Amino acid sequence: MPFLAAEPITTLVPSISEGILWAIGASPFAAFVVIALSYRWFPKIAGYLAILGVGAAMVLAYVTLFNVIDADGGIAQYTHEWFRAGSLVVNLGVRVDGLTAIMLVAVTTVSFLVQVYSTGYMAGDPGIGRYFAYMCLFTTAMLGLVLADNLFMLFIFWELVGLSSYLLIGFWYHRPAAAAAAKKAFIVTRVGDLGLLAAILLIWTRTPTHTFDIATIQQVAANHQVAQWVITWFALGVLAGAIGKSAQFPLHVWLPDAMEGPTPVSALIHAATMVVAGVYLVARFFPVFEASPDARQVVAWVGAITAIMAACIALVQTDFKRVLAYSTISQLGYMMLALGAFGYAAAIFHLFTNAFFKALLFLGSGSVNHSTNTFDMRKMGGLRKAMPITFWTFVIASLSLAGIFPLAGFWSKDEILLDAWRDNRALWAAAFAGAFLTAFYMFRAIFLTFFGDYKGGEPVDHHDPENHFHGDPAHPHESPWSMAGPLLVLAVPAVAVGWFAYRDAFADFVNGALPAVEESGSSFEWGIAISSTIVALAGIGLAYAVYYKEWVTSKSLREGFAPLTILFENKFYLDRLYEDFFVRTVLQRGWNRLLELNDKYVVDGIVNGTGQLGRELSQRLRIVQNGQLQTYGLGFAAGVIILVLAVFTANPL
Amino acid sequence: MSALFLVTIGIENFLAVGALLFALGFAIALSKRNAIGVLMGVELMLNAVNLTLLTFSRFSPSDRPVAGATFVVFVITVAAAEAAVALALAVSVYRNRDTVDVDKINLLKS
Repeated sequence: MPFLAAEPITTLVPSISEGILWAIGASPFAAFVVIALSYRWFPKIAGYLAILGVGAAMVLAYVTLFNVIDADGGIAQYTHEWFRAGSLVVNLGVRVDGLTAIMLVAVTTVSFLVQVYSTGYMAGDPGIGRYFAYMCLFTTAMLGLVLADNLFMLFIFWELVGLSSYLLIGFWYHRPAAAAAAKKAFIVTRVGDLGLLAAILLIWTRTPTHTFDIATIQQVAANHQVAQWVITWFALGVLAGAIGKSAQFPLHVWLPDAMEGPTPVSALIHAATMVVAGVYLVARFFPVFEASPDARQVVAWVGAITAIMAACIALVQTDFKRVLAYSTISQLGYMMLALGAFGYAAAIFHLFTNAFFKALLFLGSGSVNHSTNTFDMRKMGGLRKAMPITFWTFVIASLSLAGIFPLAGFWSKDEILLDAWRDNRALWAAAFAGAFLTAFYMFRAIFLTFFGDYKGGEPVDHHDPENHFHGDPAHPHESPWSMAGPLLVLAVPAVAVGWFAYRDAFADFVNGALPAVEESGSSFEWGIAISSTIVALAGIGLAYAVYYKEWVTSKSLREGFAPLTILFENKFYLDRLYEDFFVRTVLQRGWNRLLELNDKYVVDGIVNGTGQLGRELSQRLRIVQNGQLQTYGLGFAAGVIILVLAVFTANPL
Repeated sequence: MSALFLVTIGIENFLAVGALLFALGFAIALSKRNAIGVLMGVELMLNAVNLTLLTFSRFSPSDRPVAGATFVVFVITVAAAEAAVALALAVSVYRNRDTVDVDKINLLKS
C-alpha cells in the first residue's frame, strides 16, 4: 500500500498521523488473529489478549480525540487507491473528525470495559477463546465502520458488524433459542442492508464523478448537484440500513431476541457497536438528510414511533434484560427523532451518553444474573443488600437514563426535547411522553429487582452438562472485582460525561464533521429542562407507588388498562405479523408455493419435455434402424445413385 | 467373314458387361434371403469390379501397364479369403440357429 503517497485532502486538519488511525482498527484485529490462532492451545490468555488489543485501540482513540479537539473537530482524511475497474474506483481510506473521534472513544471505552468484565463473566465457559476472538472482530468491524472514508469500505465493515453480531448472539449455539435469535438478527437486519446497498449503487451511478467518497457525497447533496429524487431515495436507502441495524420500527424485532447472547455481548451491541451504527450512519449523512425534507421527516417519525412503542413494550416485560433491550430501542428512537428534527449534535450527544449508561445497565444486569442465575424479575427482589455495588451503579445509570439532573442523560435528553420542540410540537410531545415511560419502566425494574424480598432466583441444575453456573442462587452475593470494577468505572461517565461534553462546545466539535453548519441558537431552555425533569420524577414516583409501596397493585393497573397491556405484552403483534403473516402466509404459502408450482410445472416441464421430445423422435427414427444389412445396403445404393446422377447432371460429359 | 460381323469390341462393351454384372450382383446381394446367395451376389460384384479395372488398365495408355492386372490379382486373393471366412460364418450360424435366412438372424434387434 502506498502510504507515502498519501496527503490530507482538507486544509483544516487535526495533526493526527495516519498510522495511528490505521492502528486503532488494526490492534483489535491483531488481537482477533492471535486469539483465533492460539486459543485452542492457550485459552487462558485469550481474555488478556483481547484486553490488550482493545486497550491499545482505546489509548490511541483518546490520543485521536485530543488531537481532533485541538483542531475544533475538523476533518483529516487519508485516501489510497485500492483498485479500479473502468469508472469504478475503490479507495482505502480513513477519515477522522469530531463525529468519528466521539464514536472511537465511545466504542473503544465501552468495548474495553466489556472485555475486562467478560474475563469474569465468561470465566469457565468452554468457548471462552472463541468468545474473545469474536469480540475483537466485532470491535474491529465497528471501528472500521466509523473510520471508513468511503461507502465501499463502510459497507464492508457494516456487514462485518452484522456477521460478528450473528456469531456472538448465537455464541451458545447449542441452545435453539440462541441459534434462532442469531438467525433472526442476521435476516432482519439484512432487509435494511438491502436498502443501504441500493442507496450506495444509486448514489454511485448518479454522482457526476462516480464516487464512494463520503465527503464528496455530502457536498454533492448539499449543493443539489444531483436530482432531488436521487437525494431523497439515497437518504431513504441509508435510513433503511439504519432502521435495520439500529432496530428501529418496523425492523426492531431482532433486538430483544438478541438477549440470547452472553450478557456482555448485549452490553456491547446495545451500548457502543451494532445499534449505534445505524444512528452513526444517518448522522454521517446528515447533510444529505438536510437536503431532503421528506426523508428527514421520515427519520423523525420513525424515531418518534420507535421511542414510544418500545417504551410501552418495556412497561410490561418481566425479563430484566428485555426491559433494557426495549429501553435501548426507545433511546435509539430518541436519537433518530433528534436527527430528524435537525438535532444532529443532540443525537450524537445522546448516543455518547447512552453508550455509557446503557453499557452500565447491561453489565449490571449481567452481574445480577451472575448471582441469581436468572433474568426473570419475578424471581428476584431484595438484591440491594446482597449486591451493593451493582445496585448503586444500576440506580445511577437508571437515573441518568431517566434524565434526572445533573446526570449525563439529563443533558442529552434535554437537548433532544429542545430540538424537537423547535421543529415540531408533535415530535416533542412524543419525546416527552417517552421520557415519562422511560423513568417508569426503569424504576419498575429497580424496585422489582433490588427491593422487597428475595424470591430465590433460579435453582441450579448441577446435572445439566450445559450448565456452567458456579454460584449459589439461594444466597446471592456481589460479583467478583473483574465484574464490579467495570461497573464502578462506567458509573463515572454515566454521571459526569454530560458536564464535560455539554452544550455548544460539544455541538461545535461534532459540527466540524459537516461541510456547512447551521446556527441553531441557544441550547438551553428552563421550560424544557424543568418539565422533562418533572415528568421523569413523576415516572419514578409512579413506579415507587406501584412496585414498592403497592398503593396501587400492578395487577389492578394492568386490568385497568386491559386492552393496552395486552397489546404491549404482545409487542403490538408485530412479531406475530412478521412470523404468521409474512413468513408463514406470504412467504411459505404464497411465494414459496408459487416457486414450487413454477418448479413443478415450468422448470420440470422444460426438462421432462426435452426428454419426452427425444423419446418421441427416436421412436420414429428407430423404424429405419431395422437391423437388416440389406436394407442399409439399399439405402447406400440409392444414395450412391443419387450422388452419381447429381454429379453428372452438374457436369455433363 | 463378312465385314458386317467385324464389329470392333471397344471399351464401351467391356464396361457395359462390367456394369451389368455389378447390377446383377448387387440385386442378388440385396434381395436374397439365403446368406449363401447373398455371398454369391457379393462375389459377382467383386468380379464385375475386376473386369472394369482390367478394362481401364488395357485401354488407357500408362507407364505401368500391369498395374490394373496386379490390382485384380489382389482383389481375387482377398475375395477368396473373404469367401472362406464368410462361408465359415454361415456354417457356424447354421449350426447354432438352424437357419441361414438373413431376415431371421436378428439377435441385436430389440
